[in-house]
Amino acid sequence: MRNLTVAFAALLAGMTLSVSEDAFAQERTVKITGFGAKSGVVRVFGINSEAAMKAGAEEINKTGGVTLGDGTKAKLTVEFLDDRCNAEEGISVVRRIASTDAFVAVGPTCSNVAESLFGILQKKAGDATDSGLQFPIIADVAAKGGLAKISEWSFRNVPSEFEMYKSLFAWVKSQHPNLKTIYGGVEKDFAHSNATFGVMKSQAETNGFQIAGSAEWLLNDTTFSTQVREMKRANADIVAISAHPFTTCGVLKEMERQGVKPKLLIGLTSSSSIETLQGCAKQAEGIIIPTSFAPVTPEAKKAAESVAKFGGSADLHSAAAYEIMFILKDVIQQQKIMAKPDTVQADRVKMRQGLAGLKETMGLLGKVGRTADREAIKPFLYVHAKGGSWQVLHKPSS
Amino acid sequence: MDLLDLIDAVQSVADGVLFGATYALLGIGFTLIFGVMHKLNLSYAAASIGAAYASLLILAGIEAPAIFVFLMAAVAGGVIGGLVYLIAFKFIPLANPLATLMSTVGLLLLIDEIIVHSTAGVPLNYPALFSDVIIPMGPFNLRGDLIFVFALGCVCMVVLLLLLYRTKLGLATRAVSQQPIASELCGISITHVNVLTFVLTGVVGGIAGAMTGAAIGMLSPLLSLPLTVKGLIVTVIGGLGSIPGAIIAGLVVGGLENFFQFFRGVSERDLYIMLLLFAFLIFRPGGIFPTTAGRD
Repeated sequence: MRNLTVAFAALLAGMTLSVSEDAFAQERTVKITGFGAKSGVVRVFGINSEAAMKAGAEEINKTGGVTLGDGTKAKLTVEFLDDRCNAEEGISVVRRIASTDAFVAVGPTCSNVAESLFGILQKKAGDATDSGLQFPIIADVAAKGGLAKISEWSFRNVPSEFEMYKSLFAWVKSQHPNLKTIYGGVEKDFAHSNATFGVMKSQAETNGFQIAGSAEWLLNDTTFSTQVREMKRANADIVAISAHPFTTCGVLKEMERQGVKPKLLIGLTSSSSIETLQGCAKQAEGIIIPTSFAPVTPEAKKAAESVAKFGGSADLHSAAAYEIMFILKDVIQQQKIMAKPDTVQADRVKMRQGLAGLKETMGLLGKVGRTADREAIKPFLYVHAKGGSWQVLHKPSS
Repeated sequence: MDLLDLIDAVQSVADGVLFGATYALLGIGFTLIFGVMHKLNLSYAAASIGAAYASLLILAGIEAPAIFVFLMAAVAGGVIGGLVYLIAFKFIPLANPLATLMSTVGLLLLIDEIIVHSTAGVPLNYPALFSDVIIPMGPFNLRGDLIFVFALGCVCMVVLLLLLYRTKLGLATRAVSQQPIASELCGISITHVNVLTFVLTGVVGGIAGAMTGAAIGMLSPLLSLPLTVKGLIVTVIGGLGSIPGAIIAGLVVGGLENFFQFFRGVSERDLYIMLLLFAFLIFRPGGIFPTTAGRD
């Protein structure tokens, strides 16, 4: 009886130990840190990115999580820090993330932050003479063209606005050959709007449109009557507005007041959001905007629902954050990242190499190509505001 | 300059003058508080925008007429005004001018962040009265909504002047403004007058916030800072403590803004307004209507 008791106790102990090991294996978590604007007027971008990252993590965890280099399974968790869309804050936040066990960070929201932040990273990976931060960062929102080439540690999963507007203006030309002139409007003090306006103008000219003039305003302007009057006098066939929702709506409302009715309206990628519809759905009716996200595929629909569950809204920016979670999962598995405190630097190097080596990833609208300078070539479509919602107007790839 | 340019220039200035009514309303608030307490309340414009947001919040889910929304903004403005006094002035040593200045700066940022956190910074549609009314006057068109804002600004000014010069409260306010110690000796409660001044200016601020929202058609936290700057410029140009000065300066600044926008473009527009401010500070520091009354 005594022997039986000892044997039973030993068996129980063994089982407990085994369960503990299993439990330990199951409890391993990998924290992915995101950062972006969660205060100030661009707070909504941070909220959406965080929700999208959490939605992505939940989706991955539902299917078993991520397999680490030592074969153990880990669940993904998400932490999101606020950089207030401020370059100094952004750098400080990333230095803080880099002082932890994190092997990658996702962000930022604003191009001005990305531009400064990527500048503090080591320019060329492995360059011993460069004491820049050796920490991989993959951007989801910052949209200004060509930012990833600043450092070999910086990556982006944002759409190429150059490609989008190149395609859009060519399409407009083919669909509306009778439209000849174009008038532009730009939010002069916002880096993204200003840069994209340059793209719009050059693509319009390339496609044979005549630029009838352009009006400028500032991000927090309250009256647009002078600018819209100039627009009215130009009487152009197309009006292209490169501005964010607040001033886009201000201008559209002033256009309505002054009876400016162009034959076609074109908007900035960032304005294909719920904000524009909340602010001026009636006046925005018909505006065409290229975007890299719309809930048109089963995956995109599922992602949109999942992001909404976490209190965000899926748009071209947050969809990129959602996709990034899956990209990171794949790289962690391919590169056999260990995610342990003593392998942090090696994991960062592996993550960088893994991200740099990607030739293609799966996005919510289809395959996403990767360029040698660490940018994404994302599929896109054109949406237009119709009846208070964004509806797909045309899919260029189809 | 051809005739069309001239017409456009005049129309731009006219639009600016009418929109300047919102600056004038804000200027009145700044100037009233300064007149009574000799303190600058830098959170005033943010509180005004906050009141306009609050009116949307109070009436969320109800299809309320625009005038009711404006009324709610005025009420919310009054409540916020009282709170501003309580937070930024009541417990702060008034003898130290920097202390209250900094507390109102803090409150400005706090109100801004409260708006941002409760709306995620998303611009919200704001109702307007007479937004579809355009009054043609020869080659010019006047916006119905801006004329309403302008008229309301004038009504506010008249009501405030009547309140200040025809009521006991106004008498007490002026007495505290000019001779606070003597007023106290006469049995006037300075705290009571101060609170009422903040509530009153809060009501005007709520109307200013609502009118700004109505004139633009939207509310955004982006409005707080530029309106604070405009309100201060208007107060200084009009003459610190002068209500008619604030009204005139508001309209002048609104008109000049569009004038410079038309002739010099957006990148230089604010430069000239700032130059105007410096010109006043150097050559006429008392503003258009310098206050003549003294103070203890």
